[in-house]
Amino acid sequence: MTSIVSIVMFVLGFIVLGVNLKEVQVDQSAGYSYANTRQSVRRVQTAAPRGCIYDRNGTLLAGNRKSICVVLSTTPFQARTWEATQARITEAIERAGKIVGRENPLSKRAVKRHINQRLAMPLTVWRDLNDQELARFCEHEAELAGFSLWETEERIYPNGRLASHLIGYVGRSEGESGAGDVKFNFSDREMRGRSGVEHYYDSFLRGVSGEKNLIVDARGFTQEEETVKATRRGLDLKLNLDAGIQRTVERELKGCIGACVVMNPQNGEVLAFASAPDYDISEFVPSLKSELYDRLAGDARKPLLNRASGGAYAPGSTFKPITALAGLGAGIKPEAEYECIGVYEMGMMKLRCARLWGHGPENMRTALRDSCNPYFCNLGLEAGTNALITTARAMGLGAKTGVDFGVDMAGVVPDDEWKRKMYGQKWVSGDLAQMSIGQSMLLVSPLQMARVAGALGTGYLATPRIKSGEVAELTKLPFPEEHLKTVREGMELVVKSGSGKPAGQDVSVKVAGKTGTAEVGLGETRRKNTWFIAYAPAENPTVAVALVVEYGESGGSTAAPKVGAILRSIFNG
Amino acid sequence: MARYFKNFNYLMFFAMVALIAIGTVSIWSAGNARSEAVFHGMWKQTLSTALFGLVVYFVLSALDYRRLLDFGSVAAYGTALVLLVAVLAFGSEIYGGKRWLWFFQPSEISKLCIIMFLADYGRKLRDFGFLGFMLTGLVVGVPLLLILAEPDLGTALTLVPAVLMMMFALRIWRKGLLVILAIMALGGSAIMGAVYEAEKPGVAAETRAAILKWVPLKPHQVKRVKVFLFPEEDILGAGYNLRQAKISIGSGGFSGKGIGKGETNHLKYLPQAISMNDFIFCVYAEETGFVGSLALLALFGMLVIPGAWTAFTSNDERGEALALGVSVLVFAHVYINIAMSIGLVPITGLPLPFISSGRTFLLTVMAALGMVQSVATHREATR
Repeated sequence: MTSIVSIVMFVLGFIVLGVNLKEVQVDQSAGYSYANTRQSVRRVQTAAPRGCIYDRNGTLLAGNRKSICVVLSTTPFQARTWEATQARITEAIERAGKIVGRENPLSKRAVKRHINQRLAMPLTVWRDLNDQELARFCEHEAELAGFSLWETEERIYPNGRLASHLIGYVGRSEGESGAGDVKFNFSDREMRGRSGVEHYYDSFLRGVSGEKNLIVDARGFTQEEETVKATRRGLDLKLNLDAGIQRTVERELKGCIGACVVMNPQNGEVLAFASAPDYDISEFVPSLKSELYDRLAGDARKPLLNRASGGAYAPGSTFKPITALAGLGAGIKPEAEYECIGVYEMGMMKLRCARLWGHGPENMRTALRDSCNPYFCNLGLEAGTNALITTARAMGLGAKTGVDFGVDMAGVVPDDEWKRKMYGQKWVSGDLAQMSIGQSMLLVSPLQMARVAGALGTGYLATPRIKSGEVAELTKLPFPEEHLKTVREGMELVVKSGSGKPAGQDVSVKVAGKTGTAEVGLGETRRKNTWFIAYAPAENPTVAVALVVEYGESGGSTAAPKVGAILRSIFNG
Repeated sequence: MARYFKNFNYLMFFAMVALIAIGTVSIWSAGNARSEAVFHGMWKQTLSTALFGLVVYFVLSALDYRRLLDFGSVAAYGTALVLLVAVLAFGSEIYGGKRWLWFFQPSEISKLCIIMFLADYGRKLRDFGFLGFMLTGLVVGVPLLLILAEPDLGTALTLVPAVLMMMFALRIWRKGLLVILAIMALGGSAIMGAVYEAEKPGVAAETRAAILKWVPLKPHQVKRVKVFLFPEEDILGAGYNLRQAKISIGSGGFSGKGIGKGETNHLKYLPQAISMNDFIFCVYAEETGFVGSLALLALFGMLVIPGAWTAFTSNDERGEALALGVSVLVFAHVYINIAMSIGLVPITGLPLPFISSGRTFLLTVMAALGMVQSVATHREATR
């Protein structure tokens, strides 16, 4: 009898076990599977190596180097209280620090924040291990439960300051991956371009980040690695930039505030692109320190400003070739003379010429050579506002250049509507006279002026191209060839016998150019921005230059010699 | 000889062999997960012990259990007492308990010895009525106290139901037995209730200490009861083992992760010190899933139900008591072990027969089942 009772008890017992096992293994299985995955699988995002940046001759401008980090998987250190967990982690880091030979870099707050916000993710403890530190780590790896190495890459800019405004710099992405970092236990945050070419061509350089699953054991050691998605390396970027020319340009601009753009007007290739003062981008990696940023941002000379394509300047006399084209378009003969008496009077307004006692009779070519203000005021008034504005716009002013770059200032070619909007005043003939000599409210960038110089030489307006292999758009200028020829002859005279002589000095090819000296500011801040634009060889231009120096003396004495030096380095090779 | 083969319980034998096979594979898997190389070959030792156990099994099943009891029960009991005293005196201390004497665990052997002795002398004790009841208590109580002193609560817990069922079968003062059962049930509930009141959230430390002073449990036992009552409270501390056990079993799902592919085991989340012994069900259940768990329960059913049936069909009081005692003992191990792994009862250290790696216990159970088989094969034709 007792045996039968026992059998019944056995059966009941097995049923109880069976029912409860079904609950755990079937009904609640998903929950336990999740708990299992959560504690043992680490989803990590692996950053793709970033593409390198080269100049047209293969000089490395931006590359990568390996950097080995030590990361700590903090889950195994969990204790009953936050304080206890933190104490255990800190103790582990300090013990590992003795082995590796580094101080604990993490503040209590940083550890606490990590525990509170992302306990499941590895904590990056040390970055950039050197060889000895790495050797010590590997030797003692068995004692370093929870610690592991993580290989990542850091950006390098081997040439420091060279083309810093053009190249730009990178930063680490912070939750920018779109899907959100919650998806990953650990994300090797990829580098993202923050400015310059690094920014503009970011998606090109960046590649595609991959996904890996790390299976970790209870002590935090990785047991298995499973690649879910392979990383795809970013593409290398070749620029049209010529590091040699760029170096010369930067040497010429050293100590100045200004900018210079050199391009090939036949295909738009930007050969040099400099803004001064500059900064050392190699100091921007692995991250831009706030002290450095504050120092640069607080500098009165504004080194962070990219003056080459973002600086807004009055073109001054470098605008006169455009006024000349407008006059020719209005039917004025180039041989027609105008008597310069040193001043141009217009009702209450007086515009002085550079030569106080006047140039005497001037035709268009000599007026360009002498940069005669009264001649061009007169010419502009005869041509009319519409003609002048149309011509300026045809030369690409007042509009973005279409350069493949993030900073592309459109500038201003003012008109009645614009003036009413900005100043609440109507356009008067005084404005037209001012504009004829490149003053008034005209604003241009050096990049735009390099394009203008090139277009005057070739007859085609080229879209500037930073990246090599990009096809440039060439727009034929809407002016008859003989008009352009007249202007070219004037610009050749500038260099041959005019104020722009230094620009052609000892250059083995014929140079054509135009000086410019724009007075800006009032009272204390009154200063001169000095320009020189040029193209060479004059017969078939392959190089166009625009150079501006703030606080200069005059276009002829400040800017022209620098352009001369640049052209010599290009053509007298 | 013909009667031996005719009465031999093949179902029980088949179930045992199958369980040995499962045990070997589970120990292989659990052993491989450990860092220490010495455990990687543990399955071979288990298998060779089982082969030796089969010899013991066949010898004992062929031997008339009555002869064995006539000549061996007192000797077995005496040996058990000596060994239990010896282990307390000379045993090696492992994990805070003295359970090992040289290469074996006396408490495991003593379970069978006590059952043998009680099966043999039970009917004589019955004749003394209440005094017999008290004598039984003494006979069982002395080795039980020695076992508890090791301490080996698990063994003691499995022995009690076996002894009680035998006493019922032997009709030793049944009225008193019911009273004892009632007292045990009440006592158990009272202890649980007291621990609950002491450990529930928001109880002042003094109140807790005052209540626990009256609870006859050691601090680590209180902790286990607490984990049982509040399993989610401290999953990183005291509750870690149970939590990981449930993750292992639960994540196995319906059909398991495959033999040798248990993740929580191989990644060492499952506590390594006990994954081969008390928690081996987790290793097995993770790899074979609910299907495997049910198969295991079925195999154990095929072992203990025919065992109890053997007791029922035996026309000898001693044989009935022996077969029943062994069956209940095995069942108690199975039930408590699996139930504790899924949090149905508080965690206590005891092996899962045939599956856990303990070799003393494996041999003991095989010998015990050999005796049950002997009861079956030596059954008289008529009752």
